[in-house]
Amino acid sequence: MAAVESLPPGTPSAMRNAFGTVLSALILVLIGVLAFSIRLFSVIKYESVIHEFDPYFNYRVTQFLSKNGIYEFWNWFDDRTWYPLGRVIGGTVYPGLTLTAGTIWWVLNAINIPLSVETVCVFTAPVFSAFASWATYLLTKEVKGSGAGLAAAALLAMVPSYISRSVAGSYDNEAVAIFALIFTFYLYIKTLNTGSLFYATLNAIAYFYMVCSWGGYTFIINLIPMHVLLCIVTGRYSPRLYIAYAPLVVLGTLLAALVPVVGFNAVLTSEHFASFLVFIIIHVVALVYYIKGILTPKMFKVAVTLVVSIGLVVCLIVVAVLVALVASSPTGGWSGRSLSLLDPTYASKYIPIIASVSEHQPPTWPSYFMDINVLAFLVPAGIIACFSPLSDASSFVVLYIVMSVYFSGVMVRLMLVLAPAACIMSGIALSQAFDVFTGSIKYQLSSKSKDDAEDNTSTKNAPKDDASSGKADKGEEVAKERLSKKGKKKEREPAEKPSVKSKIVKKKALVLPLEASIVALLLLIMLGAFYVIHCVWAAAEAYSAPSIVLTSQSHDGLHVFDDFRESYAWLSHNTDVDDKVASWWDYGYQTTAMANRTVIVDNNTWNNTHIATVGTAMSSPEKAAWEIFNSLDVKYVLVVFGGVIGYPSDDINKFLWMVRIGGGEFPHIKEADYLRDGQYRIDSEATPTMLNCLMYKLCYYRFVETDGKGYDRVRRTEIGKKHFKLTHFEEVFTSHHWMVRIYKLKPQKNRIRGRVKKLKQKTSSGVSSKSVKKNPWM
Amino acid sequence: MTMAINKKLLSLLLLVSSLSSIASASFSDPDSDSDLTNELASLRSNSESGVIHLDDHGISKFLISSPTPRPYSILLFFDATQLHSKTELRLQELRREFGLVSATFLANNNGSDLNKLFFCEIEFSRSQSSFQRFGVNALPHIRLVTGSTAKLSDESGQMDQSDFARLAESMAEFVEQRTKLTVGPIQRPPFLSKAQISVIVAMIVIATPFVIKRILRGETLLHDHRLWLSGAIFIYFFSVAGTMHNIIRKMPMFLQDRNDPNKLVFFYQGSGMQLGAEGFAVGFLYTVVGLLLAFVTNVLVRVRNLNVQRLVMLVALVVSSWAVKQVVYLDNWKTGYGIHPYWPSSWQ
Repeated sequence: MAAVESLPPGTPSAMRNAFGTVLSALILVLIGVLAFSIRLFSVIKYESVIHEFDPYFNYRVTQFLSKNGIYEFWNWFDDRTWYPLGRVIGGTVYPGLTLTAGTIWWVLNAINIPLSVETVCVFTAPVFSAFASWATYLLTKEVKGSGAGLAAAALLAMVPSYISRSVAGSYDNEAVAIFALIFTFYLYIKTLNTGSLFYATLNAIAYFYMVCSWGGYTFIINLIPMHVLLCIVTGRYSPRLYIAYAPLVVLGTLLAALVPVVGFNAVLTSEHFASFLVFIIIHVVALVYYIKGILTPKMFKVAVTLVVSIGLVVCLIVVAVLVALVASSPTGGWSGRSLSLLDPTYASKYIPIIASVSEHQPPTWPSYFMDINVLAFLVPAGIIACFSPLSDASSFVVLYIVMSVYFSGVMVRLMLVLAPAACIMSGIALSQAFDVFTGSIKYQLSSKSKDDAEDNTSTKNAPKDDASSGKADKGEEVAKERLSKKGKKKEREPAEKPSVKSKIVKKKALVLPLEASIVALLLLIMLGAFYVIHCVWAAAEAYSAPSIVLTSQSHDGLHVFDDFRESYAWLSHNTDVDDKVASWWDYGYQTTAMANRTVIVDNNTWNNTHIATVGTAMSSPEKAAWEIFNSLDVKYVLVVFGGVIGYPSDDINKFLWMVRIGGGEFPHIKEADYLRDGQYRIDSEATPTMLNCLMYKLCYYRFVETDGKGYDRVRRTEIGKKHFKLTHFEEVFTSHHWMVRIYKLKPQKNRIRGRVKKLKQKTSSGVSSKSVKKNPWM
Repeated sequence: MTMAINKKLLSLLLLVSSLSSIASASFSDPDSDSDLTNELASLRSNSESGVIHLDDHGISKFLISSPTPRPYSILLFFDATQLHSKTELRLQELRREFGLVSATFLANNNGSDLNKLFFCEIEFSRSQSSFQRFGVNALPHIRLVTGSTAKLSDESGQMDQSDFARLAESMAEFVEQRTKLTVGPIQRPPFLSKAQISVIVAMIVIATPFVIKRILRGETLLHDHRLWLSGAIFIYFFSVAGTMHNIIRKMPMFLQDRNDPNKLVFFYQGSGMQLGAEGFAVGFLYTVVGLLLAFVTNVLVRVRNLNVQRLVMLVALVVSSWAVKQVVYLDNWKTGYGIHPYWPSSWQ
């Protein structure tokens, strides 16, 4: 837009420029609408509910925040979870998402728009994905001009990988964090291009917001130092680089340390050490450049030896200190999740709780096609476009794509970080390709007519013709993509105008054959159309299921399975408010949020021993399990069972992790006892330990009454032990489709109770020492 | 808490077992037993990482002719040189791990416990009769012969597949479980020895000034854009091909067809898994389209000859659309997702 001011008003190019600005603003608004509305499938197909597991916790925290205010929230000790330990919520949660939604809710209420907290939470993610696509526009514009920016923004608005984490209702940290990530990168690049301290300060604040929002901020604080180092090593050091980096490290680290969950980790854990090391290096380099400026070349050579040797010594000392720090801290200073990125086999070897989560698995090639679709084809072209010519900004996006694509290869979850990079790269590639092809067409059409005056009109007509031919067989979104291409042409030309005219002439000579260009253009548009179809399909079919309500389409119509909410409602209506409910950790957040009952473990897997205790109880025989649960004051045990309707992610399928995690802490649980030929089986081949463990019994109790045979539709087999009675548990609730079953711990038998009373009168320690023997939980 | 109890329990068990072994030793002929033990110990001290190489003679001497409550257990590794070429059996790798367990056991034990367990191996070509005696007809096979094992064909001491799945660590667990002896944490030899590390550090220190000088002059390989470009493209190819998946899951390049051993399976149907060759093929398809596009927009525009441009573009377009089609087809085949557009309902 700077070009607008430099040109005298009233000239045709200024008019075109203004028109282009308005047009691209309009396109950006449409992109925002697209990003928001493509994420509403979940609300339309299901209803306006919070999805899955973690969002329920965030929702509960937001409710607390909106009810009690920020100070109460900051000091909140939650006694409804991790019983009997509890959890300090204020100090263990990334508050960015909660504060954002809380603020939105507060503002809306202040201007008399009475939305419920739940509604605000449901729609936070779609709103922020619109912001994210605008941020992508800004970032790509800094790298390769606004044409590429518009294309990248349109691609990001509907990239499936990002949709999967930001559909309406998916109220999780990533929803706001991806916006924060892109915006931080934009401000970094902006600072790098302008050298302005104003943007550098904004950058630190954006980084602070990112730290508040998501643990993935470590990606930023490692990527930016890497880029700085890369610039230094390739001889691209400039004062702008210094201004972009040094304030970010100082202010950013200070601000990050303000977030309770990060705190002193911001200077103590080795994820952050790279930034400090580069901080020192950039100062050494800055000094060298400064001295170079004030000395004659000869003197400089002498000085260089001196400075380099001193700098080396300092660096070596710092490295030694860092190494010592890293070595002295537990796990070498690297947290398990980060270590599993560097040594991919680390997690699967040593940390079952990380290996057990499906989103920590390495992806196969179809995952890329599912999550970034045709962008996977365009990225290499984008990388090459960034190298011609290579600037500070374009080298940053190249580094970004390379790092994120590597990390996404290790952990499928990080595909989310790759998606913006892939969109930026593909936007650049598409924009360049459109530029060349439409440029060729335009040049040849105009040279055929040999009329300079018609140049402008034919420019507009040529792409429009192609576009209208494509319009017939694709959706609205492609039109937007086309628009973006048009907007880009308008924007790009003024940017080139100030440069010498001969350059334009030279560029015009670089053309491709007319008919081939038209075909290529059509193919590219078809590729874009396919992308749109895929994204809409993915948003509608693959990523919109809230997983709290399930549906299935069969020949006799649509079936809705609302068993989860049914049973949480049962719990909240039929049990005492202080009763403790035990279940596998997956259902912890939902139980506290929807049933308002105290749970033993939940999805915040901070205490492995506690989880292992529950795993041990689930894998133990009934009596031992009863003792463990009783020692934890558990009243009810909740299991999720999919055998009746064929719901595959039920507790029996998760059972191997209960055994593995339980066995990791309590060695009397041995995985081998549950395995037959290396497999968990529940049919007639199952091991006796398996058939006697609590999980088997709670899932399959009375199961044979459903169909008379006991046929499990998930495992596709008849179960091994069909008729048995429960001795220490009683069934109190089974949901409509048997998906959730709740059992109550039977009270102790009279005989035992009498003995306990007697013993209690004598000595209070007698009972506990007896139960301790078999009970791993002490 | 539990750890402490475990340790106490363990020491108690050790005490009990050593007492019982003393008791049993007193019943059998103590002289010949201690002779055999001493002989094994001396054999062990002469062999690498303490794994004794036994043959038919040794087996009969230490296991068959000795009376059953032997004062020692033997963990026997069955090896066959002729099968070393079959990599899927992992014989050599397991043998190395076996040696590691043995070395760790030697390092962590001294005194009476040391002579309770001996690590031995026998080789198929030189001791076929022993293989028959043990009833071993499939490798890999590791068996623990405890002091009380009377019949060699008794397979209760066999180590399961799962027991050496995690290599030395799980072998050690197996040994600790069965013999009640402690092996301790496995001590793997460091990747680089201390001398090597110091040499490398010294070289780096010496080289740094020269490197910095070159960096300041701007003449290193690092200043070559083409290197960075090809590196970036390569990492991209490497990742989208799912190579990390193949490394972590240790996937083979291809499989043999179960129904027809002569046929090779290169593509695995089902989205959770992929084969090596499959990943590289699709990674290539992913990459080639972008490379061709970049070639056309960056290089081909500079070519003057119109017909060359036409020809190259034709080839590029055909190859690109083929690659995209192939990936779409393969993805559909592999995952079974039916992607479809949504038309306005009034159109139907």
